[in-house]
Amino acid sequence: MTRVMQRHIKESAIAVAAVALLVTGAAQGFAQESVAVRAVMTTNALPVDDPNAAAWNTAPQAQFPLSPQVHWQNRIQEVTVKDLKVRALNDGKQVAVLLEYADPTEDPADAAALEFMVGDKKAHFAHGQPMAQVEGGPVNIWFWRNKDGKGVDMSAMGFGTLKTQTHQDVTAKGAYSNGTWKVVFSRNLTTDHPAEDMQLKPGEFINIAFAVWDGRKDAAGDLVEKGSQKAVSSWWYFRAEAPPDYSGYLYAALAMGLALAFQFVLIRKLKKGQSA
Amino acid sequence: MGSLTKPVILLVVIYLLLKFVVPNIPGSAPLPSSLIFLYLMLTIAGIVIFATMSGESKDAFWGPIQRFLTGENIGALQTARFALLILFPLLVGWETYGSTAVSDAPPAENRTIHPAPPGEYTGLSNPVAKTPDNIMQGKGFYAAFCSPCHGGSFDGKGPAARGFNPPPANFSDPTTIAMLQESYLFWRIKKGGVGLPIEGMPWKSAMPRWEVELPDEWIWKIILGEYDGAHQSPRTWE
Repeated sequence: MTRVMQRHIKESAIAVAAVALLVTGAAQGFAQESVAVRAVMTTNALPVDDPNAAAWNTAPQAQFPLSPQVHWQNRIQEVTVKDLKVRALNDGKQVAVLLEYADPTEDPADAAALEFMVGDKKAHFAHGQPMAQVEGGPVNIWFWRNKDGKGVDMSAMGFGTLKTQTHQDVTAKGAYSNGTWKVVFSRNLTTDHPAEDMQLKPGEFINIAFAVWDGRKDAAGDLVEKGSQKAVSSWWYFRAEAPPDYSGYLYAALAMGLALAFQFVLIRKLKKGQSA
Repeated sequence: MGSLTKPVILLVVIYLLLKFVVPNIPGSAPLPSSLIFLYLMLTIAGIVIFATMSGESKDAFWGPIQRFLTGENIGALQTARFALLILFPLLVGWETYGSTAVSDAPPAENRTIHPAPPGEYTGLSNPVAKTPDNIMQGKGFYAAFCSPCHGGSFDGKGPAARGFNPPPANFSDPTTIAMLQESYLFWRIKKGGVGLPIEGMPWKSAMPRWEVELPDEWIWKIILGEYDGAHQSPRTWE
């Protein structure tokens, strides 16, 4: 390789590195607007009881904006919690989801919930309310309230149909400190009730939505956020990561081997033909 | 490599024709890249058939290519030859990885923004007269029911908008209500997001089904107020 060529290669390598740095830097800035939660795979025990465990730092954080529930009655025009940070982990058997959000006061009625579609049918994010032209299915809601201190497995299919399930599979644990709530929800990836419970298959994207209630009371002593008066989100995506799949590399290596062999055979044949 | 000059020029010309000339023929449209690729492959096949039809033309065509690949007598082109022999398997590996590896991206959203309305909601005309009074009333209803999401300035940036995906429509944008008929708006407001057909992804829509809460007359007045407030006009039959 000549000097000139070496210099060209060096220069282009520097340029590529610079562009790569720029792009990753820009990508960090966009981390605020997420569309999906990645429940990364871990071989350690899931921190299902500890919202403050260090293990959570190994999971990437997704952030979603919340709106006051103005879609259906009874509406609320302003809510306390405006943004929600979400992390998740899975170990192939169980999934754990951590919600983190700012709430100025700790109240017994503080609550949070995750919502999932069930089975193959789509469901409207407002408790699976019926859709005129699409046959919708139910939703599975995992609910936590501070004063109950546990997870509640619920189902709904339309307004006014929210009910606690007969079989409870969800656990939840909340921790409040310095104006921040951290709530962990956990459940097995699959349950024995696929007609009512969301079933999670590693590697598959499913829909998830969030709701949060600030259990503060107004001057008259009434709860401001309760029932349908809450902070809500739209449908976003959730995926439990499967163990790393290297098959793409395997196929690529195989294909490269074939391409090299093809080149060898072709050139040998051509050379034989030339000398003949 | 003189025998390859003409085929290469031909391919480049055909590519440029397909990419830049054909789309501008009246009634035509930009060609998808897969179609352009197909036509180029057909052209190459035609070139090879043509070039190998007689014994002499075959040697004249393949000779330089053969010599390049075997490295015989090509002097300065040795670097190019090595580059090709290394890059070809790498390219094959790269493409194979790309098509077989598990993707990290969530499913693509192919939501139809303005799906077709049901038959009974086409061709309706606004029964409310377009008077300043009615417009004012409409704007009042808009402020009460619609502005939390669609904004006091009709721009889709109401205080309640930020958590919803898809976001509330921006009426001041020329691609929303300015492109639609009042009849369409009546359908969307009355039947709400849950009234959308499947291609509109009704399960994601935060648009309320206002027929449950508002009489038709109020909805028609809101439509008047909305167009006036957003400084837009409805699309007409023509």
